[in-house]
Amino acid sequence: MDIDRPRSLDETLAAAGEYPDATLLAGGTDVMVEVNFRTRQVRRVISLRGVADLSEWNGTRIGAGVTYRRMELGPIPALAQLARTVGSPQIRSVGTLGGNLGTASPAGDTHPFLAACDASIEVRSRDGGTRILSWSEFLTGPKLNALKPGEVITAVVLPEHLPARQEFGKVGVRSAMVISTVSACVMRDEEGRTTVALGAVGPTVLRAARAEEMMSAESHPSAEALAEFSRLVSDEVRPITDHRSTEAYRRHASGVLARRLLERCLAA
Amino acid sequence: MKINLTINGDPRELECRPDESLRQILRREGYFSVRFGAETGETGADAILLDGRLVASEIMLGVQADGHVVETVEGLSPGRGLHPIQEAFVTVGAIQSGYSTPAMVLAAKALLDENPDPTEGEVREALTGVLDRETGYLRPVEAILRAAAVLRGEKVDPLESTLVRPLADFDGTADLDSDEPPLDLPPAALRVVPSPEVPDTHVVGKPEVKVDALKLVKGNPAFVDDMEMRGMLHAKVLWSPHAHARIVRIDDSKARALPGVRAVLHHENVPRVRYASGGQSYPNPLPHDQVSFDNKVRYVGDRVAVVAAETIETAEAAVRLIEVEYEVLPAVFDENEAMEDGAPVIHDEPDMEGAYDAVRNIVHHIEADVGDVETGFAEADRVFEQTLRVHQVQQVPIEPHIAIAWLDGDERLVVRTSTQVPFHVRRMLAPLVGMPVRKIRIVKPRIGGGFGVKQEMLIEDIVGHLALVTGRPVRLELTRHEEFVSSRTRHPQTITMKTGVNNDGMLVAQQMTTIGNTGAYGTHGLTVQMVSGLRGLSSYNCPNKRFDCHVVYTNIPVPGAYRGYGAPQALFALEAHMEDVAAGLGMDVLEFKRMNWTKVGDPLDVAAELGEGAAEMKFIPVVTSSGMEECVAQGQRAIGWHRRTDPEWRFPSDRPHIRRGIGFAMCMHGSAISGLDMGGASIKINDDGSFNLLFGATDLGTGADTILAQIAAEVLGTPVEDIVVYAADTDMTPFDVGAYASSTTYVSGMAVKKAAEEVARQISERAALMLDMGSPGDISLRDRRAWAPDGRSVSLAEVALHSLHQDQQHQIMATASYVAPDSPPPYAAQFAEVEVDIGTGQVTVLSLVMAVDCGVPINPVTSAGQVEGGMIQALGYGHCEEMVYDDGGRMVNARLGPYKIYRSDEVPRIEAYLVQTMEKSGPFGAKAIAEIPKDGVAPAVRNAIANATGARINNLPFTPERVWAALNATE
Repeated sequence: MDIDRPRSLDETLAAAGEYPDATLLAGGTDVMVEVNFRTRQVRRVISLRGVADLSEWNGTRIGAGVTYRRMELGPIPALAQLARTVGSPQIRSVGTLGGNLGTASPAGDTHPFLAACDASIEVRSRDGGTRILSWSEFLTGPKLNALKPGEVITAVVLPEHLPARQEFGKVGVRSAMVISTVSACVMRDEEGRTTVALGAVGPTVLRAARAEEMMSAESHPSAEALAEFSRLVSDEVRPITDHRSTEAYRRHASGVLARRLLERCLAA
Repeated sequence: MKINLTINGDPRELECRPDESLRQILRREGYFSVRFGAETGETGADAILLDGRLVASEIMLGVQADGHVVETVEGLSPGRGLHPIQEAFVTVGAIQSGYSTPAMVLAAKALLDENPDPTEGEVREALTGVLDRETGYLRPVEAILRAAAVLRGEKVDPLESTLVRPLADFDGTADLDSDEPPLDLPPAALRVVPSPEVPDTHVVGKPEVKVDALKLVKGNPAFVDDMEMRGMLHAKVLWSPHAHARIVRIDDSKARALPGVRAVLHHENVPRVRYASGGQSYPNPLPHDQVSFDNKVRYVGDRVAVVAAETIETAEAAVRLIEVEYEVLPAVFDENEAMEDGAPVIHDEPDMEGAYDAVRNIVHHIEADVGDVETGFAEADRVFEQTLRVHQVQQVPIEPHIAIAWLDGDERLVVRTSTQVPFHVRRMLAPLVGMPVRKIRIVKPRIGGGFGVKQEMLIEDIVGHLALVTGRPVRLELTRHEEFVSSRTRHPQTITMKTGVNNDGMLVAQQMTTIGNTGAYGTHGLTVQMVSGLRGLSSYNCPNKRFDCHVVYTNIPVPGAYRGYGAPQALFALEAHMEDVAAGLGMDVLEFKRMNWTKVGDPLDVAAELGEGAAEMKFIPVVTSSGMEECVAQGQRAIGWHRRTDPEWRFPSDRPHIRRGIGFAMCMHGSAISGLDMGGASIKINDDGSFNLLFGATDLGTGADTILAQIAAEVLGTPVEDIVVYAADTDMTPFDVGAYASSTTYVSGMAVKKAAEEVARQISERAALMLDMGSPGDISLRDRRAWAPDGRSVSLAEVALHSLHQDQQHQIMATASYVAPDSPPPYAAQFAEVEVDIGTGQVTVLSLVMAVDCGVPINPVTSAGQVEGGMIQALGYGHCEEMVYDDGGRMVNARLGPYKIYRSDEVPRIEAYLVQTMEKSGPFGAKAIAEIPKDGVAPAVRNAIANATGARINNLPFTPERVWAALNATE
């Protein structure tokens, strides 16, 4: 195995351009696990740890190298909430936003937040310049993303105004559940515009568009409206039955979780 | 390539490969406190501080740490002495095996450097990255809070037992309807309920510091892997990818041709010697259905071949080069389906030895009868029947199996191994490697948890074969994935309970029909299931009992011994069933159970048929001590039992989706296998009046070395520090069966006591000589002196010097052994308080309280630690741990995370009460405590869920989806 240790973004893009098949290693919390499990043969690594440019966080532009630890201590409530649910202190110290997007797991911890606020992903390459992709353009499938060879995830760009009312939750957090069956992020702005994004219940994170549309029209949602919201979310998610859980339960849990997060937004 | 690190203040330039993890590099440099726990870093045993922050060295490349500051525990207190965090861990008993203690200490340091006055919640949060399978996190959290106080300059109190007033009358009856408020004690208080029958002691009964605490808390070399050996080879095993297949052809030529490969072994070049891998007394129970390497594989993860090479990477590459052609056979995973006609025959080999009906995959058929159940059922007023299913879990010691074998200067085979049964391993290994016992030495250093999974000769034969073939030292360590799939697990069972009962609540007949799934091999299959029957049918009195059990082969990874050994399965079924019978009768559950549970003087009649030493058992044992009523009374008060009928509490008005409930389970275990388990000990005096204590008993983190030293110190009138313990080395120490069946305190403790009494007699004789007394009979030993009745005394150092050097020289020493005729049961009351989210089915366990009668706890802090940690392991069993497979029998969650064990911030409030009774057959009144904490949590939580919601769940574990489904079925 060979390793490159660029010290700047330009050096990073140069290395990635020269070795488009190289593995980009940020915190390493996903890549190194695959390496240690021998499910991934890594010939060349570009270590991003020393690239200070990637760790910058300016308001709504969050560098790909920002760690969960910094998200946890940062000013964005839902992002801080989700960061607190990630792994262990060891993982939060080194795991990064960019790494979570690079891995593109259907259960990616940051994805519901990014989807709920319509974040964009900034990618750069030596030869192709800068591309800005919406979260849905970027996340293309389970463990698949739109990154081209030689491209590096450089930042996440959030909208200028995030709804003040935003909640993130998992079914199972802090309660010794077998796995997080579903994770979700709900946001609601002053006009009542509501977004809801759910993770681990589809090939990628997904938005429940009909539930959003219905709830965005409700200024003071009734119990019936909340129940309908929950039902629509259950209907719109696309979970599967596997050896861990059934589709029916995952649909049900999605609806319950989304409703509870919405209720917390409404109470805030 | 070169990297620069500052390690514990020293600037170091180190050579490494680009693909090496920081953990590999640090261990190579001798920082042995940084340990392997999982290839994902998820156990946290590999944690270090990088620039002051806790990181996982397992999943960080050394190169990534270049230029940074690394701290390990070695740097915390260089030289002698301890850092205040370490001091606190030692004092409060936060250390059991100590494998992950260095990581916890570092997590604590990172926290306290940033936050000198943390809350308990912040401490728990800081520990979330270090998984512990032993303490239940209670004492580590307490240690960190205590260290914080010390570092802030506050005074802390010494650790002492808190004596709790007994609630039961002296005749043993208690008011079980009391709504007295719970005691207001700190979480880590040592709650001891004293008995007036227990005599005063000086060392026994005190919360003494563990004798091995220093090396563990400092991360000194202590475990199998913490050694350097020149020329050592590394082994890697090729495991079966199929659940059931014949090996048609195996071609190892490419693997052998790889530079650096020194041996490749498989069924074509290793002699076929049959054995059973369970570490049990001679003769090992049948069937003998294993060989080191077979021409057939019977589960995904079964052995196919092994490579020894100069590096781990070369061994792995060679494993991938072994070409194997399989004839894939149909597989069966469910124990009920495996007995059906047409099911694949898993053991069809012609030299198969000792199975009941191998063609139907039935390894054993066990039957035991007391009275006549059919007549009983016919005569009973009511008959209740229900079927329950318990699932498969893994022991998850944080240190996986590891062994290193080499030939010593005399070309004897030495195996340094993480085992609970060194003496059994020596005897069982001999025929497999073709050497006499005299040419084999097994050494057990500290081991990082076992819980039964190491009561097995699992990998010692592999390193033994390789060391003999290569003439080089050979090391094999299982990865976490391999530990899950290719070591041992808990037996799943299908259990049908049937009970005939009169309307007044008296049991008339009770039958337990069990199908035990023993996976691909029968190891422990007979005896685990026998213990299920024994525990299931001797907890309550009943004139007519029947146990009918089939033990069945399937193609799942192999079950074996796991702390509790059949009892957790049986007591889940029994205590769920008894709860439901009480409900069916409309009786109060405590009243119903108390009417029937065994009390002092009651016969344990089924033991005569189901004891492992049953062949020797000429009489029916009776209960000789029981603190059950006191346990129930203490537990009831601590949990707030009266709330279970209070609707305001059960249905909190501010959280409409929450239901609360409280559940109870009684527990009863054994203390050793009577008539079979034997331990030996020897003691000799040294010049300064200290003693070497040698025994074969195997401390796997439980504190056995400390307890046995306390017993010796009590008899010899010395403090514990005068007892130098060396244990579990087949060349050096007397025999002991090893650490299982809750036997060490009760059996090995008695051997130590006998040896110490003989040494005390010799000391008295010598003292009488020195004091010119006619008879030594009245001499007593205390405060490191031998005292005559007239008040004159000589010190033990003077006795030692006199006897070793001065007059009629003689080595004061003695050896003794002990085998127990009885197995007096410890009793316990387990209570659980839960919240059920009826929207998601999620169960949150809020409190676990266990009051245990273990006779006299020799060391209340290690005893409490057994209960606290055992309850959290047991909670994992009931609540969230489960081995999950795909249709091909491949485990889909073989890593920590998807296989969920409890974290520090997730554990409920836990309280242990040690209820004293005086068990006259045990050393200083002791019974066992190691396994009983595993028995009651699952049924108590299950009964609490029933109390909360009405849903009676008969399958483990209580996953949200299962609970949600049960709630929907109830509505």
